[in-house]
Amino acid sequence: MNTQEALKIASLLVEEWVWTTETERPEPNRLDVKLTKLDDFIPIVVGLRVQRLGYLSAITGLDLGPEVGELEVLYHFCTAAAVVTLRLRVPRDNPSVPSLCSIIPSAEPFERELREMFGVDVDKHPNPIHIYLPDDWPVDTYPLRKDFEQGTVSTAVRRGVKHDGKENNG
Amino acid sequence: MMEKKIMDETFTVPIGPQHPALKEPSHFRITVDGEIVTNAVVRLGYAHRGIEKAVEGRNWIQNLYMLERICGICSHIHATAYCLGVEQLAGVEVPPRAQAIRVLTAELERIHSHFLWVGVAAHEAGFDTLFMYIWRDRETVMDLLETLSGNRVNYSVNILGGVKFDINEEQADAIRKGLDYLEERTNHYLDVVSNDAMFLQRTSGIGVMTRNQAEVLGTVGPTARASNVARDVRVEAPYGAYFDYPANIVLEERGDLTARFVVRIKELFESYRLIRLILDTLPSGDLETRMPRRIKEGETVCRVEAPRGELFYFIKSNGTDMPERIKIRTPTICNMTSVVKLVIGHQLADVPMILVGIDPCFSCNDRMVILDRSDGYKQQWTWEALRQHGIDYYHEQHS
Amino acid sequence: MTQNLLQDTIQRLKTWARINSPWVLHFNSGSCNGCDIEILATLTPRYDLERFGIKLMGSPRHADVLLCTGAVTRQARDRLVRIYEQMHDPKFVVAIGACALSGGVFRGCYNVMDGIDQVIPVHAYIPGCPPRPEAIIDGVVKLLSSLSIPTAKVETQPSTDGRIETKECSL
Repeated sequence: MNTQEALKIASLLVEEWVWTTETERPEPNRLDVKLTKLDDFIPIVVGLRVQRLGYLSAITGLDLGPEVGELEVLYHFCTAAAVVTLRLRVPRDNPSVPSLCSIIPSAEPFERELREMFGVDVDKHPNPIHIYLPDDWPVDTYPLRKDFEQGTVSTAVRRGVKHDGKENNG
Repeated sequence: MMEKKIMDETFTVPIGPQHPALKEPSHFRITVDGEIVTNAVVRLGYAHRGIEKAVEGRNWIQNLYMLERICGICSHIHATAYCLGVEQLAGVEVPPRAQAIRVLTAELERIHSHFLWVGVAAHEAGFDTLFMYIWRDRETVMDLLETLSGNRVNYSVNILGGVKFDINEEQADAIRKGLDYLEERTNHYLDVVSNDAMFLQRTSGIGVMTRNQAEVLGTVGPTARASNVARDVRVEAPYGAYFDYPANIVLEERGDLTARFVVRIKELFESYRLIRLILDTLPSGDLETRMPRRIKEGETVCRVEAPRGELFYFIKSNGTDMPERIKIRTPTICNMTSVVKLVIGHQLADVPMILVGIDPCFSCNDRMVILDRSDGYKQQWTWEALRQHGIDYYHEQHS
Repeated sequence: MTQNLLQDTIQRLKTWARINSPWVLHFNSGSCNGCDIEILATLTPRYDLERFGIKLMGSPRHADVLLCTGAVTRQARDRLVRIYEQMHDPKFVVAIGACALSGGVFRGCYNVMDGIDQVIPVHAYIPGCPPRPEAIIDGVVKLLSSLSIPTAKVETQPSTDGRIETKECSL
């Protein structure tokens, strides 16, 4: 499948299945789909998968800042040079998106990263534990949010460095 | 002796996290029933330095140096992905000579990375002779990179809007000569990995991933291509000078460890061909163009083919001299899912080989394995010991 | 007097043995791999660190020298301390690369500790991003030659059960 075919199929799919979306073509090889309803998300992913456009390349989190009060989650699906991006907006307090793991197994690490870096709760994630951050990372501190300040966590921990000599396998 | 002790129990064997070799040193919890692996869970982040946050506080030029230090093995390709993305956002056209030099360095880097991997994988299989030979030959390509850039590891070839140095005729000749030597050696290594009976016992039929599995698990790079999945960004979405110097895709059908060796070694020939072609037809012209200090507001997606697979960059600019957000998705994390699924049903002794099979940015190999038994009995294993266990296991099997 | 002579001889013998076959352990505390591949390159035929009797070990319990790279991430910190504690005395730590010295480009990031010496004592520093294999060899050889200076003190103190414990404080 070449790039133009992939983009055509994806935009047809979006138009047919979901009505409440805005699509955009920011670059010739990209199709941005803004989903306004969270319920449309899973069906459209299944649709992409069925059309063999379902290679999930990455999940990007974006913090639009405390003044907007929203986070944006971007799902990038790549086929040839085409990049189809599904954009979800979630509120900054208590954000939640459905898990894709049952449809796309490789989404698991990406969703774990999204969860700990932005505090976006991933509904029905099979293994919701830390992936990059240490287990003793303070709760409700999400490093990639805009209001997280560099250095605050690190110094606090360093002052409290104490090795108790206990075995821990983590 | 291990087998007798643990015959009728199920254990969890935590492997890692001390793993100097990985860009993302990882921790595996592997559940075994006797010798057979029944489950595996991965935990990453021992090398998590918080780069994605740090780049938001530095300007576009400083970030180039930061991102080059994400990985010491594929430093050039990270910088290339970043430069391509930023240039796209700024709407700057990079001169063809600079594009060609970028691709040339990327292919030299691929050679060094694949050599490194074949060596380390041979070491894991207990074939240290091959490891030493390959690393001796790898110094040839390190010398070439040093003659070009003055550095062995972080070459700093890229700058925003172009490259830093030119290639003269003398250097081109040195590269051609080096490639002739390497090509001859590579033929020999291809023969070894596909015909050596002892080596095949460790690789043939181990960690088999069918084409369908490879697609569903979202593998990238040589790991996917060894399972006949045609996923190579250089071919399907060419960038930079790959429009003028198209790469050919290398595919294997079997999907086992042997196929992963063969794919990577065959890719070396492709790299030699590309480099020779670039040297013979290097376009003339400038090396750089002027870049604005502030980058226009916008978002872009940039995908490049790193030695380990597809590298994904998402760059968002807010119109200032600092990026709003840079998302980096490295190939190892995609392939890590496949390891977790693949090891199930295999011998514990094969775990090191399957992990190495995806090339998880290996550079050295020593790491702790702790055997944790429900009765409180604890035994510490080094990665070395697990590797030795693998070697001994196969010795017993085939003696 | 005789005992002192004996101890002195043993000490000399130990130092001699130590200098001629230091076993090293390599630990990556969150580096970019650049230093690690250079350490590995020093062990391979071109640079051949083994001609100094230096051998790479897999277990901290066998090692005399810890070659440490990386800026020490929060997660690797406990590991690093544990490995250091598992090594036998006398033990030496070599910090390799800009990150290991001071945090390098990652200084100030939320997940790093800004250098090995923030966590464990370091005996030799090898700068560079990454240091060349020659620099690594030079650093390790300098560490070894500093051992040969006969300042390796022997402190003796009688313990409770009458046995004599020796405690070396070289370096």
